[in-house]
Amino acid sequence: MVTVTKLDNGLKVVLKPIPEATAVSVWVGYHIGSRNEKPGMTGSTHWVEHMLFKGGGKLKKGDVDLLTSRVGGKNNGFTDTDFTAYFETMPAGHADTALFIEAEKMRNAAFDQKEFDSERTVVISEREGAENQPEFLTEEELWSLAFHIHPYHWLAIGWKQDLQNLDRDTMYRYYLRYYAPNNAALFVVGNFDQTATMRKVHELFDSFKPEKMPEPMTLKEPPQAGERRAVINKPGSVDHVEIGWHIPEFAHPDTPKLAMLSAVLGGWKGYNFFAQTGWRPRSNRLYKSLVERNLATDVSSRAEVKIDPGLFIVHAAVKTGASVEKVEGVLLDEIEKLKRKPPTKGEMDIGRTQIQAWAGFENDGVTFNGMMMTFFEMTGGFEKYDELMAAVGRVTPKDVQEVAGKYLTEDARTVVHFIAKEVKA
Amino acid sequence: MSLNPQRTPLDNGAVLIYQRMPANPFVSFHGSIWAGAVTEEKKGVAEFAAQLLMSGTKTKKAARLSEAIESLGATLDFDNSQETMHFYGRCPRSMSRKLFEIIVDCLSNPTFPAAEVERVRGEIIDGLRMDMDNTTHRASKDLLESLYPNHLYGRDPRGEESDIMKVKRADIASFHSANYGPKGMMIALSGDVDRELVRRDIAPAVSEFDGDSEKPKVTTPGPAKKTKRIIAMPHKSQADIALGLRAVDRHHEDFYALSMVNLLFGRIGLYGRLGRNLRDEQGLAYYSYSSLEARPIAGHWNIIAGVNPGNVQKAVEGISKEIEKLHTSPLTKDEIADGMDNQVGALNVNLERNAEMAAELYRIEYFGLGLDYLKRFPSIVRSLTLSQIHGAAEKYIRAEDCSLAIAGPVPKDAEKSLKWP
Repeated sequence: MVTVTKLDNGLKVVLKPIPEATAVSVWVGYHIGSRNEKPGMTGSTHWVEHMLFKGGGKLKKGDVDLLTSRVGGKNNGFTDTDFTAYFETMPAGHADTALFIEAEKMRNAAFDQKEFDSERTVVISEREGAENQPEFLTEEELWSLAFHIHPYHWLAIGWKQDLQNLDRDTMYRYYLRYYAPNNAALFVVGNFDQTATMRKVHELFDSFKPEKMPEPMTLKEPPQAGERRAVINKPGSVDHVEIGWHIPEFAHPDTPKLAMLSAVLGGWKGYNFFAQTGWRPRSNRLYKSLVERNLATDVSSRAEVKIDPGLFIVHAAVKTGASVEKVEGVLLDEIEKLKRKPPTKGEMDIGRTQIQAWAGFENDGVTFNGMMMTFFEMTGGFEKYDELMAAVGRVTPKDVQEVAGKYLTEDARTVVHFIAKEVKA
Repeated sequence: MSLNPQRTPLDNGAVLIYQRMPANPFVSFHGSIWAGAVTEEKKGVAEFAAQLLMSGTKTKKAARLSEAIESLGATLDFDNSQETMHFYGRCPRSMSRKLFEIIVDCLSNPTFPAAEVERVRGEIIDGLRMDMDNTTHRASKDLLESLYPNHLYGRDPRGEESDIMKVKRADIASFHSANYGPKGMMIALSGDVDRELVRRDIAPAVSEFDGDSEKPKVTTPGPAKKTKRIIAMPHKSQADIALGLRAVDRHHEDFYALSMVNLLFGRIGLYGRLGRNLRDEQGLAYYSYSSLEARPIAGHWNIIAGVNPGNVQKAVEGISKEIEKLHTSPLTKDEIADGMDNQVGALNVNLERNAEMAAELYRIEYFGLGLDYLKRFPSIVRSLTLSQIHGAAEKYIRAEDCSLAIAGPVPKDAEKSLKWP
């Protein structure tokens, strides 16, 4: 039984007891992501996330890790375009420690100048590690080309030039402004005492004052009026093709239809990246038309879950000997086929069964449970996940055909080719 | 939830080990047979066999197999390794029998269609090429080659591109015929699984698996050959540093003491002492951690760090100093107490998911640790003494014996100027 409480200062508190669990997971999500950044300060939300592990208030530097790890717990933080989230998963009986850490992070991070300076190279190192991967470069190019106005133009890691120039005071002001109880939601999932935990939440969070909420998003990406293309020529091993089409925001009624479209087209691997393992769905159209026919070694599709209108993305790792043009052509043909004729009952049954089975897989354990609730809360409401799963059951083949025709159009698509140049010895 | 894993040996030689996890209502499994790279006479064959298991059986073509698995709401992967061929996945409880019937069909009756062999050949080669363009993989590969020269543990179980080119369909079929069988098969299950499900659905399906198999003998590797190499990859943004040395096997008496050293040196919190130095204090690396890889007959300890190419020398010096500090400022009583609390408490946290529990049960069976291992583990950890832990650090962690490999945008000639003990 899930209970939801709103504190006087606006903090939403969600308790989900799972008495049979051996652990408890505490999550705090903030409605602040890279979509709230401005040009020149890209990557700052992610950098703030790093700074919250550096102490402040009653937490000395290293305490977050020390308090968590000495009882066998784990912790981490994530920054997305739409939100930032933190968690601690602890053995049952240690929820109070996690709540204490999260309370200190919410208002008391120190942002010590020396720590800020040393973290600059860490954040840049994180970006440089990502730059080593062709998939990251392709993804970054896709979003920057598909969005000219909206801040989805950049990824959460930010541009390297901004990371080299950002200053501590700007970031600290950003933190104080947005890390407020009325801009956050707290989730406690697993084995814990509800009454005692709620008492602790009041004790730790009640005194925090609300701040002005983030300004509503005023930037709206204008409709794309023609295909956009980019080519990345870099040394590498294999070519990649990635195509994105504009789709509506998560709250839109077409979201379950787009989920089914993705399952039929490229197979389903859930919304929780960490639950994916090495699983390759093979009964989908892209696998059959590209992998089985020796044109690609890997294919995927996904309908991004975003607060603002996002992208439906398909990706193919091109097999050596095949051409990006051929792969792109086959990929687009498959989409045209879906527009002309709805998927079969068999395809729909497999897609629906997979999506609903994955609802179990991606909520495996208290950490994943807390993660999924937080991610969906930040994107539109944690209860929307169950509604989405139920709505998937009502999607018809005609619905899938209809959203393919409505959104996967030539004018709304952005195509990126990563061309692997020979590596010089 | 009570930790009370059960073990059911089957007449065909397979063993099922399982633990109910009532909070997570589906079944997760992790299994293996003795058909890894060690059993192959021709390099690359074991990889081909594993990759082709879902390419068709005597009764189902590839497309029907995929549809059958996915229509159950299941996932299934086959994966080759040095010693074993693994399989793992998930399914709803009610679909367990059907899924295990499919798994046994894939293991027993693969047809290895010629067209699929060629398709998979291309996939394996592209996979190898992608890894050769990955700085972490390149540095780690080079390190393993130096730690286990000319030995199974020092090579990629997939083989090299030249090996893959030589494999024929007949090689794969005869490898399968000689090595795929239930003797020594291990399957660990967790989640919505109990004695009734195992007895009624899973055991009958797995009992149908028939064939030849023997536990292979892995030869003891010769001594490591200390090396220092740079793999120049000028098109990359970041360099990966891999360094390490041979350590202990999983059954060695120093294993638990060395595990504690490893935890405190490069894992606990944000990568232990090493992370504090390289990431927290110097800001050199987003990741820098150590690992202890203990196998049945040998093992090694290693460090991986991702750094800006301009900071390679500084990072290498930082690592060297931190290793040295293990000897000049040994792990303190407080650090060790924290480490012990961490390892004991982590049992509840690191095994909270079905997949994690299945993987741990699999390790328990693989290494023969006993069904009571998870119950005994806290006392094993608590009984470690300061002198055992300091002794393990002193005996095994020595910078001067470490091999070093760096892959990334670093010039090859930096090898000479790079200072390393």
